Parts: sequence; structure tokens; C-alpha cells
Amino acid sequence: MLVWVLSLILIDLDGYYMDFQLIEVNEISKAFGGVQALDGVSLDMAPGEIHALVGENGAGKSTLIKILAGTYTPDKGTVTVSGKKLHTGDVRASEDAGIAVIHQESTAFLHLNAVDNIFVGREPLRCLGMLLDRPLMVNHTKELLKRLDEDLNPMQPVGELPLAQRQMVGIARALSKQSKLLIMDEPTASLSTRETETLFRIIRQLQSDGVGILYVSHRLEEVFELADRVTVLRDGHTVDTLPIDKVTRASLIQMMVGREVTETSNEGSKSPETGKVVLEVDKLGREGVFQDVTLQVRAGEVVGLAGLVGAGRSEVARAIFGVDRHTSGSVKVDGSVLCSGSVKEAVNMGIALVPEDRQHEGLVLPMTIMDNLSLVIQNRLTRWGLRSSEREKELAEKTMHDLDVRASNAYVPAESLSGGNQQKLVIGKWLASSPRVLILDEPTRGIDVGAKTEVHKMIRKLADDGLAVLFISSDLPEVLAMSDRIIVMRAGTVAGELKREEATQEKVLELALAESRESSQTDKLAGGVE
Amino acid sequence: MSKNAIISKLGVLAQKREYGVLALLVVTFITVGSQNHAFLAMGNLKDMLVACAPVAIIACGMTFVLLLGEIDISVGSMMGLLAAVIGILTSPQHMGLPVGVGICITLLLGTGLGLINGLLVTFGKVPSIIVTLGMLTALRGITELLMAGRWITQLPPGLRVLGVGTILGVPVCIWVAVVVAAASILMARETPLGRRIYAVGSNSKAALVAGLPERRLKIFAFALTGFLTAVATLVSVPLLSVIESGIGNSLEMLVVTCVVVGGTSTNGGRGTIIGSILGVLLLGMVRTDLIFLRLGETSTYWERAIQGAFILVAVLIDHIARRRSNLEVTQ
Repeated sequence: MLVWVLSLILIDLDGYYMDFQLIEVNEISKAFGGVQALDGVSLDMAPGEIHALVGENGAGKSTLIKILAGTYTPDKGTVTVSGKKLHTGDVRASEDAGIAVIHQESTAFLHLNAVDNIFVGREPLRCLGMLLDRPLMVNHTKELLKRLDEDLNPMQPVGELPLAQRQMVGIARALSKQSKLLIMDEPTASLSTRETETLFRIIRQLQSDGVGILYVSHRLEEVFELADRVTVLRDGHTVDTLPIDKVTRASLIQMMVGREVTETSNEGSKSPETGKVVLEVDKLGREGVFQDVTLQVRAGEVVGLAGLVGAGRSEVARAIFGVDRHTSGSVKVDGSVLCSGSVKEAVNMGIALVPEDRQHEGLVLPMTIMDNLSLVIQNRLTRWGLRSSEREKELAEKTMHDLDVRASNAYVPAESLSGGNQQKLVIGKWLASSPRVLILDEPTRGIDVGAKTEVHKMIRKLADDGLAVLFISSDLPEVLAMSDRIIVMRAGTVAGELKREEATQEKVLELALAESRESSQTDKLAGGVE
Repeated sequence: MSKNAIISKLGVLAQKREYGVLALLVVTFITVGSQNHAFLAMGNLKDMLVACAPVAIIACGMTFVLLLGEIDISVGSMMGLLAAVIGILTSPQHMGLPVGVGICITLLLGTGLGLINGLLVTFGKVPSIIVTLGMLTALRGITELLMAGRWITQLPPGLRVLGVGTILGVPVCIWVAVVVAAASILMARETPLGRRIYAVGSNSKAALVAGLPERRLKIFAFALTGFLTAVATLVSVPLLSVIESGIGNSLEMLVVTCVVVGGTSTNGGRGTIIGSILGVLLLGMVRTDLIFLRLGETSTYWERAIQGAFILVAVLIDHIARRRSNLEVTQ
């Protein structure tokens, strides 16, 4: 009843608001620590417009969405919805203004059924506002699901539904809010072709109802199919907003990558293609995460693993290292297969992984430098079965000297070091086990430019000393500068491989973005390189 | 493959835990009943339910706390303190205040203590197990100070009625337990409050995005548990011939065990009030059974051991159920 009355009011007001832009984002800035995620971003949308938002990893799309949704407060700038200034940093205010977000990561309540998932937080009431109006909730849910062509059981806990249906429940939740602006963050990532078509039909239907849709996607073909206009973000800036018929696929990619290369460039390996193959990954797969990943790393070689966030790069690294179990394929080091797929075996075979989240997975922050460094090879640093502090100290001092870790002594806690020095420590910890293969996952994330250059030099030196290095980074210029070869991943598969000489930002991004329909072609093209 | 099949079957069982507990309850009832007819006597069953009533009342509040992914292990000591307070306030040996005043103060004090738990957990950002562990010790200490080794033996008749009185032949405490359970079931299933508690416990990140007030819900659940502990104290203490400082000792373990055995996940989001009530009845029946098995003095020891075994098995099943749902996610 209440919803019905509200919707009448909204329809009434819509006529009045037509004079205004649906939304105006004005000079929004937001920084996290020292990193400027958004810097003066502006955007506007008319009612009934489908507006695509594209950009590389870390361009600032997610931050912008979170500001519009009210989960982040911007440092500067304003958001105006239908002519009214939005009180930013308040989820309720955004919701009341008619903004709904369908998030990329699951925001479903897995233990609750679809009905509860759709209405939780805004439940219709009966019996003097004491109890839930279940019949209305159930009916409304059934209507919404019918509109979405989805015949899932609304009474079943959402956790028991497949991912695509969970996504549909999320969309139904957004629809139930009578939103004026619907933000969709990679909505098709987990959908099949048929489900995607249904979603597009719904999006067009919403568009004709006057709902504005901000569509964030890496899949450029979807952008061209749906959008009226497109805004490109790069490094937290708006590059441009253009009508869709004024851009081509190539010009979009050009706008996304036109980024300055500030890092010191690298001369590459001294002996590429001559070193012995150390790490051999053959058709490795993990059900539902990635499949058919084949790659080789030679001694003395740095192989870059590029791709968009969510392409499965870190997951491959974790599976090689045995943190996650693989379900098909094999990993070989120096020709012998890792059979048990455990971390212990990987370490014994000479694999080392420097994880993405260095503070949580790489170091025990309150422990001293010395304790951190001796963590992996603790059992080798013993005397009569007890810890030998002399040998630990010896190791610590050698590592600190070799890797140029700047700290007053080996007894200070790891948390007192700067980001760059912490990263050197994580790498040093693994070098202590004298590995043959070093996998680095985002080793320079969140550290300043100077420290970055040092880490780069260190990695190069380690490779020159005969280590096989697999280097994962979301920073395209960095991957290009560091790698002898680049393997590009997309949606859990290898999209292609590029040699150092032929690799450009455009080519890498083209592979990372390539759409499913063309993927077989690109695979062939890239396959020809090896 | 067969191992997976077994795990998935156990998982199904765990998902429908209420049925499992109910089946176990019926089996125990029939087995012991057929062995010993005295067990089925009306008087015995009534005694069993009377003993279960205070546990059931607290278990309702505890279920909401666990649904939110928190725990409250201070309820036993809280009952001890509240028993001492109601005794000192109303007993003619002590202050001799009117029963009504005593009841109000007890209810307020219980709610207030729960509120403090909730505030420390949410705003103090201290894990609930630590907060309530501190409360467990502190409240018992305060109780011992208040009682100073004395025993309170005389309670006013107005208070006694709550323990020994009957309505339509059914003891007051059972009526109260039924009303509390019914209200809790209604709250859990048919009010926004209840659904939001499930939502926050199920996925606190998504709850944030949905604008649900996580802190307020947690404070509410702790305050409710405190209030219900006071209610349980009022209907159970007047049954005792004497109030001393040890009342409610290790009650918290019994309550948590019952709730977890009844299918509520210690990680939050899953569980029902009905399950918790069935858990209370199952453990209550096991306790009575032990008396009927004529184990003599050792029955208390057995009770503890069995209670412990129950919680371990329940948590294990819970763990397997979660593994199963994780498998589902990756597929």
C-alpha cells in the first residue's frame, strides 16, 4: 500500500523533475592515504539515459560508484540529483534520492530468501506497523521476478541459488526501490548469454520508463550495444564524455591507456629464451575460477601476468603455490610435477610467493625484522633443535644488506618500516629459502615512486642471478617495463601472449578486454607468437 | 566421491537441524519412557519442563545474539547477581521492599547490564567473548560481595507465587517461557527487526550497503538477553529454598550449548528460536534421563560430559554444513 502511494507520488514528481538533469556529479575528489583515487571528476546524466563508465584498473570507477551509493564521503565536490543537492556519505540519503546500486561483489544475504533479500531495510508493514506485510512482500517479489523472466523459488535461501540467480535477486531489489538512477557494476560478469539478453531487455525497459542507468563494464561490446554516451576515467580524472556514435573501440582503448610512463625503463633480460624452463604450468584449472592456463617461465626471465582485476591472475598464482587446490592440469618445477599441491611441497620445490596483501599475508607486523625473515626456514636455523639467534641474526643482517632494507637494526618490528622496505622484507623472507621460482603479486601496490624503482631494480637483479620470476601487476606501464614476455589473462583464461618488443599498452588492453565472441580469434593470433 | 556424498548428506541434515533435534528428542523420550514408566509420569514431565523454562527464556535472547555473530557468556553470573538483588530487596530479612518494586528494579538492572555488554561490544569494539567473559567474572565477584557469605531463606509470598504458583494447573514459569518463546518466534520471523538481525549476521558488508544499523541491532540483542535473564531469574529463583551467591553457575554454558545444538550457527545468520527451544528440551531431557538411569552421584559428572559432547558434535556438524555451502559457492 505504502509502496503504491509512494510510487504514485514519484510518478507525479517525475514530470516536474524532467526539467533537471537526472544527476550532476561536480568536481568530485577523493584520496585514500596518499593515493588520489578521484581528482575533480564530473559527469551528468539525463533521465532515461544509459551512460557507460569505462576505465582501466584503478581508474576510479569503483570509488565513484561508492560515493554515489553513499558508502564513501568525497573530499571535495557535489552531487546533485534531480536538482537537489545530495547529502553525500549517507547510504540512506542516496537511497532516498533514488540511487540504487547493483554491486559487482555479491551483496546478497545468503541465509535469507529472495523475499527478505529484496525488502530488508525497507520492509512494508501491517498490523499498526508491528509486523511485516508478508503477503504484499511475496506478491511484489513474484511480480518483480516475473518481470525479470526468472522463475526461482522466492522462499529458498539465496545461498542455495546459482550465482546468476543471486544476481537477479540483487537486480530485483534495485527495481523494487523505484529507483531513478540505477548503477550497475559489471552486472554481466556472472551471467550466461541468455541471462545477459534478459538483463539488456530489462535495462531498455527501465530506460523507456525514464530510469537513468550508469553502466560500468569491461566488456566494450556491451557498452556499444547499450550506451547512449560513454565517460572514460583514467587515473582518477575524466578523460572525456562522448556520445557513443562518436567513439570506436580503438579510440576508447586509446583514451583508457593514454597514461604517462614515469618509471625507469628496464633493458630486459640479458639472456631471454636461452635460459632453462624452470616453471611449467600446463592447462591448470580451478573449477569455476580459471581454466586451461598454460605458461612457462625460464631461468633469468621476468614474465608479466597482466589482465583486469578479476581476470584470475592472483588465483592462478595461489593455485601454483598450493594455497588453493587446482582441479585440473599440472605444475612442474625443473621438470618434476608437484603432486600433492600443498604449500609445503611448493616451498620444497623452490617456489616462493609474495602475496598481494603484504600486510596481512606477507608479514607478521608486530614481529621483528629478524623473526619475519627466519619464518619460512625456521627449521633450518636451529642448533640442537632450538632456535639459534646467532644464525637468525646472520641471515637478517645479510638480507638487510643485500636488499638494502633501511632500518636501524634487525630488532625493530616490521610495522615500523615504510611500505617499500616492508615489501623488500617480504621478498627477502622468501629469498632465504633460496627459491628457483619467485611469484610476485602486485609487489609495488601502494608504495611510492622511489621505492617502486628500487623494487623494480631488485627484481631485475634477482632474475639476472638466475631466478624465474612471474610478475603480476595491474599497473600496465610497470608490466611493460619489467617483463620479457607478457601473458594477458581475461575471465579466467589466457587471452594471449606478447613479446617484450611487440607489447604496447593498447595491445595488452585489447587482449584483456577482448569480447567472448572474438576470443577464439585473438587466441589464435596470440598463440602464433610462441 | 563417496566422502563428498557423506559430507553433503550430513550437510542436508545440518541445514534441517530442527528436524534432527526433534527426532533425537522423540527417540530419547520413547527409549527412556519404555524402560522406565516413572519417567512418563505427569509429575516428572512437569518437573522437567519447570527446570527447562528459565533456560528456554534466556536461550531466546541468546539466539539473537548468536545470529548476529556475537556471544554472551555472562548470563550465568548475571542471574546470580539478579537473584541476590531481588532477595536483598524484597526479603523481610533484609530491605523488605514491595515485591513490585523489587521486580521492576531487577528487570531494569538485567536490561542495563545487557546494554553495557552491547555498548562495549559495538562502540568499545571489544570482541563479545572477552566483554562477557569480563562480565562473567566481575558480576560473580559483585554477587559474592553483596551476599558476604549469607544465605537468604525467607522470600515474600508475592515473589514465591512466581515460582510455585500455577495458572490452569500449569506452573507460572512455563507460561512465561511459552509467551517469551512465542514473542521471539514472531519477532524473528515477522518483524523488520528480526529479519534485519538475520541480515546483519548473514553478511555484514551487504548490511552496510543496505543501510542497516548493525550497532543498534547488536545493542538491542544484548539488552534483550539481559532483560530475559532477569525474567528467567524472577521465575526460577523463588522455587529455591535458599538464595546464595552461586546461583546460575555455568548456566551460560548450558544456554549456549542448547542454542548451538538447536542449529544456530556461531558465525551468525542461521538458526531459529524453535531450534533453540528444542535444544533446551533435548538437554533438559538428557539431564532427567540421567537421574532415571540411577547413576547416583556420578550423574552430575555425566551431565557435564554429555553436554560437552553435544556442543562438540553440534559445532562439527555446523562446520561441515559450512564447508558444503562453500562448495556450492565455487560451483
